[in-house]
Amino acid sequence: MHLNAKTGVFICKCGDCIEPLIDLNGLKNSIKDHADYCDILTQPCLTPGMEQIISAISQHNLNRIIVAGCDGRIMLKKFEKALEPLDILKGQVDMVNLRSHVAAVSDASPEQKAKKSEKLIKAAMADMKALVPTELERAKLDGPVAIVGNGIGAFPAAQKLITAGVECVLSLETCDPKKIISSLKRSYPGERQHYDRVKQMVEDVLGNEKLTIMADSRLKKLIGVTGDYTMVIEDSQGNENFIKASMIIAALDAKLYPPGPEFGHDGQTVLIQPEMEAQIDQMGIPKGDVVFWISDYEYGTPDFAGLSTKSAWSMAKHIKEASASTQIIIFYNQMMTLPLSATERGLSRKLGISWVPYDKAVRPTVQDGYITFCHLKDHVEHEISWDFLVLSPRRAIRGQEQITARRLGFIHKETPFLTGHHAKVRPEMIGREETYIVGSARYPCDLQETLNQGRKAGNKNAEMVEKSNKLQLFIPRNVCVVDPTKCVGCGQCQELCDCGGIGVSEYPGGGLPRMVDPMVCTGGGTCAAACPYNALVLQNNSTDQREARVATLSKLLEPGEVVSLACVWGGLPAADHAYSKKLTYDPAIHILGVPCVGQIDPSVMARAFLDGAPGLILIGCDPEECHHSFGIDHAWNRVNLIKKLFSLCGFDRRRIALAHADLNKPEEFVKTANAFTALIKALGPIEKTQANQDKLKSIYHLCKDNNRIRTLLSAALRRPGEKTYRGDQKHALAFDKDFNQALEEEYDYPESALFEEDTSGKGVLYV
Amino acid sequence: MRYLQGILQIRCCPDHIREIAVIEFKINDKEVKAREGWTILETAKEYGIDIPTLCHHPAVAPTGSCRLCMVELREGDWSKLVASCIYPVKKGITIYTETPKVHNVRRWILEMLLASCPASEEIRELAQKHGVISTRFSVHDPNQKCLICGLCQRVCEEVVGLSAIAVLDRGVHKKVGAPFLRPTDICVGCGSCVTICPTDAMQEIFDTVRGKPELPLSQLA
Repeated sequence: MHLNAKTGVFICKCGDCIEPLIDLNGLKNSIKDHADYCDILTQPCLTPGMEQIISAISQHNLNRIIVAGCDGRIMLKKFEKALEPLDILKGQVDMVNLRSHVAAVSDASPEQKAKKSEKLIKAAMADMKALVPTELERAKLDGPVAIVGNGIGAFPAAQKLITAGVECVLSLETCDPKKIISSLKRSYPGERQHYDRVKQMVEDVLGNEKLTIMADSRLKKLIGVTGDYTMVIEDSQGNENFIKASMIIAALDAKLYPPGPEFGHDGQTVLIQPEMEAQIDQMGIPKGDVVFWISDYEYGTPDFAGLSTKSAWSMAKHIKEASASTQIIIFYNQMMTLPLSATERGLSRKLGISWVPYDKAVRPTVQDGYITFCHLKDHVEHEISWDFLVLSPRRAIRGQEQITARRLGFIHKETPFLTGHHAKVRPEMIGREETYIVGSARYPCDLQETLNQGRKAGNKNAEMVEKSNKLQLFIPRNVCVVDPTKCVGCGQCQELCDCGGIGVSEYPGGGLPRMVDPMVCTGGGTCAAACPYNALVLQNNSTDQREARVATLSKLLEPGEVVSLACVWGGLPAADHAYSKKLTYDPAIHILGVPCVGQIDPSVMARAFLDGAPGLILIGCDPEECHHSFGIDHAWNRVNLIKKLFSLCGFDRRRIALAHADLNKPEEFVKTANAFTALIKALGPIEKTQANQDKLKSIYHLCKDNNRIRTLLSAALRRPGEKTYRGDQKHALAFDKDFNQALEEEYDYPESALFEEDTSGKGVLYV
Repeated sequence: MRYLQGILQIRCCPDHIREIAVIEFKINDKEVKAREGWTILETAKEYGIDIPTLCHHPAVAPTGSCRLCMVELREGDWSKLVASCIYPVKKGITIYTETPKVHNVRRWILEMLLASCPASEEIRELAQKHGVISTRFSVHDPNQKCLICGLCQRVCEEVVGLSAIAVLDRGVHKKVGAPFLRPTDICVGCGSCVTICPTDAMQEIFDTVRGKPELPLSQLA
């Protein structure tokens, strides 16, 4: 597409925020000869400036644009949008933040600031030069949308899809509406007001001729990616059917199951809510006093107490309305706030349902016919008598649902629910998470929410199909791709990635190359940097680009200056906000933004030192707050790798550091920046002897090409709280020692380093 | 692409201001050239003429809510005050940015802002620059920094693509915060609102907007 990169650099005066503080003419002169075009604009972000950029692009055929102005986090999108009609796509435009990171943060002279700006811009230019832009690719969605799993969310989704005129295949275990409703009661007890309505909907959907229904079937295997799935569906006779589908919606509901023996559950008198629902169904209103115990706090899942209370309240209301003489008590932990509206409270008083809170400090105990609890008023243990004790259910994804979820590739780790990935990123980065999983298996919710999720999924899938038919559906630009010639099928990436975007292209098995579903990938890139064989590449934002950027900056650094890689969720905004708060810090720190510190390959870190940087600091989010897949933890592991290698080579381990910044605490960021630059200034540069260079070269090659170390690095990630260790690694120390051992074995000692005493430079040289 | 190039060749002449579609008018008696689609504010900035603004940011569409960028527009015998950030350029008009009329309205606005967000240093500095040092209006909340310009809500919607911040209530109760004033999971915590805030009010509000993740990561591992 663009064989020759032609870079245009546009420097912004930004009113009086940049111009008087930085010597822009000097800056332009130093950039001019290296770029294909360079200009100073008054306000590139406003219409007049934008028109100037567009005219410069068409006159000089520019295909890489760098705007040196302010925060790319909020401005970049405007440039991308404006330049898209000119074939300058996402990834081909970049911004360097002169205003927040250079102009105002120190009291250096305008000339010095111009020097710093020049370094940052040149680094961005190198990045752009290394960019291999991909073509804008259309996503094709051929074939029907398939709905699998037995969740109730399948029906509203199917309904919406049929209404939108989208072909739809529904795979169900049973097609009997009665059975469907009775299983619905098991998953969503007490939602009496919805049952008839849902039954009507189920009958409507099942009776619809446009829908293809596969009765008595379950999903056996799924292969492929969005737009081209092949499902293997097994019917009751064990026959396998192959079905093509463009997209999949999984409708899965969590299982409600009884708690452990300490609650005295017997299924007859002490029972859980769904069992009570079944009893009401079969035997009518229970005769005798009923106590609903909201026992979720005792299960250690207080988050679900609200849901259980709603079900209990709804069932209590139903019983009381049918038989006024029945005594009903709803018994709850004092910690809980009751999820009742004022009208509901009024109704509850009118019906005579009593709500009894108990002291959280004393756990109620179940006895035959009684339950003992500590009263809040007098702290005396009281008793409530019951004929039926109804407990909250425990909730988790289990049984057939779990199997289906695993076959769909949703489960990578043992979690109670399928919250999907926890990535907290901008909506355009999430491919289609919302569109493929509905129901309480995702996270416990009530029936209304599940039905809504179903409708939403149906609508969104229909929208995507429509877009694809109009040829307007595009594959996101920043996604990972696998080079099948390099991939050995170790599956490391699949294990790391929790956006669920990585799978195998054929039947699951050993050693098959992985493939990425571009419509699901969030572009976090931690997986790409962790690939032991460099087979995964993050398109339009590759490791090569970052390496080029870091290398160029490192070469240009003067003594005492350091490179900093800051993530756009933590370090970078913290630096931006330091500007808004008019804070100043040591200008020796040169900040390069990255989407996530997890994207930084260890070879990029090593490259900084190889090219002369005396120090490198990675500034990411707070641990636990990584917006992608544990990127910060991987970065931690990689930083430690470099530290270990530095120890091995006799360099100071403190030259590389990982820092955490909260975007709302710029003062802390300033402390971090100042402390690290001060440390590096005290340490001085790494002496540029041949031996040192050779050592750094060895480190770099080990980080980049050594498959064993890279495998260890990605496989051995330990989160601080984890307690199990593989093989004969008993604890954290044993694991670390083993890692060190491996490094010592793999590290290729350069010969020059072995003859370090020979400082004349004429000794044996490592080539 | 070729089609576009065609358009561009017409639209973008070498000195970037095309002879045919140029709109000529005057700002402070100085001849300026603009093009269709520009606003008065954009033209003024291009020519280095300073107009104070608060709710204007290039990343989002202008709404003209703070009224600080008011300028006097004279056309024939008519004179009126317009918000320069949303007023499109027109041939033959004359704009004055520093007349007594403009100064008067600016000072009123600044005085009102001093009363509504007295804790903001930025507002105080700006007011001082325009000679406003005290306010005649009653101060309701001496710690208020937010001027409810709505930039945070707009950036969340237009740039990030979410609606994690809303302008809540109306009239004197109007405020900015998460929907229903509860930390929300919609917020991804990108901090765009904090960056764009013209005062640093959002820094405090931000922590009441971003929610904690549904499941802490330590539980997922």
